[in-house]
Amino acid sequence: MTNYAIETRDLVYTYEDGTRALDGINFGAQTGKITGILGANGAGKSTLFLNLNGVHTPKSGQVFIQGQPVQFNRKGIQTLRKDVGIVFQDPDNQLFSADVYRDISFGAVNLGLEDAEVHRRVKWAMEKTGITDLKDKPTHALSFGQKKRVAIAGVLVMEPKIMILDEPTAGLDPQGVSDIMHLLTDIRQQLGMTIIIATHDMDIVPLYCDYTYLLSDGKMKASGTIEQMFSNPELLRDNHLRLPRIAHLMEILRKEDGLQIEKLVSTIGGARHEIKRMIQENNQ
Amino acid sequence: MGTDRYAYQSRLRHMDPVAKLVLTFATVTVCLFCGGITTGIVTLLVMGALTILWGGVRPRAFLKFLRIPMTFLLIGCLTIIVEGHPAETPVLFGVPVGHSIWGITPDSLYRGVCIMAKSMGVIASVYFLTLNTPMTDLTLAMRRLHVPQLMIELMDLIYRFIFVLSDTANQIRTAQDSRLGYQGFRRSINSMGTLASMVFLRAWHKGDKIFSSLESRGYTGMLLTVSDTYENGTGCYIWAAAVAMIQLSCYLAEVQFM
Repeated sequence: MTNYAIETRDLVYTYEDGTRALDGINFGAQTGKITGILGANGAGKSTLFLNLNGVHTPKSGQVFIQGQPVQFNRKGIQTLRKDVGIVFQDPDNQLFSADVYRDISFGAVNLGLEDAEVHRRVKWAMEKTGITDLKDKPTHALSFGQKKRVAIAGVLVMEPKIMILDEPTAGLDPQGVSDIMHLLTDIRQQLGMTIIIATHDMDIVPLYCDYTYLLSDGKMKASGTIEQMFSNPELLRDNHLRLPRIAHLMEILRKEDGLQIEKLVSTIGGARHEIKRMIQENNQ
Repeated sequence: MGTDRYAYQSRLRHMDPVAKLVLTFATVTVCLFCGGITTGIVTLLVMGALTILWGGVRPRAFLKFLRIPMTFLLIGCLTIIVEGHPAETPVLFGVPVGHSIWGITPDSLYRGVCIMAKSMGVIASVYFLTLNTPMTDLTLAMRRLHVPQLMIELMDLIYRFIFVLSDTANQIRTAQDSRLGYQGFRRSINSMGTLASMVFLRAWHKGDKIFSSLESRGYTGMLLTVSDTYENGTGCYIWAAAVAMIQLSCYLAEVQFM
């Protein structure tokens, strides 16, 4: 239990009009892992993230960073924002400067670092996200995927312990999706950063997530490893989600066609393995 | 946007913006206060040459931008050159209208051409700045020159979100247009009204979101950033002194011979 980089206990958040946006959220993201929060539109993913970063203050319940409870006062929120970085869904809502370099530097300057250190970090973040050659372009001349990278660099520059990404693959082409997801796995591997992604892009989940939560109507409906989560397709469907395509195919093959599929697979590699195994067994 | 694209490609893009600002400010000031026909033309030529040869802006682009204010200037100066005079005034060219004569006197001709030349000089100086300096560098330079923080932040934000909002407006317009929203005058007016209110609402909404995202990056009321390091601007200071000298000598020569 102490392995959680960030954890919430009975987190409740209500909007000003009294709507319960988050209703007793118990959630934890393990250090150095990619945790997926699966949820349909309006499930409360963004609201949860804003609570984890101190932009919203929870009505009740607690947030823990590495086991330490967060105080939602000025100082506590400041530390929280230093530890937890959010990359928002629409980079146009995050990039406020027309100059790429200056935009990335913003978070680092806010940490009160010396100029030399700010420059070092900006250059490092640009290198990590592969945007060094975008330095001399204005923000409005960048493509959506490039803006997304700049937005990630702008959070990376603060060297947070935990990075949260809201719908990191939304609006990207297939190449862009795999680029961004590889970037995230690289960051996790090289820096040991804890990463949380909110998504309803089910096909990327088995490829990149180590652990998943199912969020719906402001409640955590389920949690578990990929296998655990996808072993209950009905629950996913009840919450406007679905199985990954491959897992769905395997489910049909098993149920409708009576194939002897032994374990739940949801990736192309896993399916290939399983099918080859079946063919071999058949031949024997 | 027009000038911005050139600024990002300029060879002087990485030069200290304060230095470029000083060069422009110095030449504009001298041209305005000690301007004559020669000073104006020489300023135009020198600043044009600096923009093209030093900044690497294509001559055609520079001329294209120069043409934009030309129309206004020509009309403006024409009204100065052609004036009404009492009937017996010696004019170079004129048409009698009632008791007076409308035409050009040597005096008014000189004044008109002088203003024209001065304006062109000033415009060329300002173009040197705008075609070689991206807006964000300019605001950073202004901060270093102690222009109030609030004004600079507003300039930065407005500049960034002009593009976002114009994108939004274009998208809404296309969406309306594709459903025949702009057929006929009445419908166009109607659609335009909806577009304006939608853009306003979106801007409002966006403002909220941006505030959240700024907060999450540690915003506490000041949009402080640092820029990449600039190249030394000594060249600009030397040119500022040189151009000012040339301008002043032209002015003195003109005063001497007129």
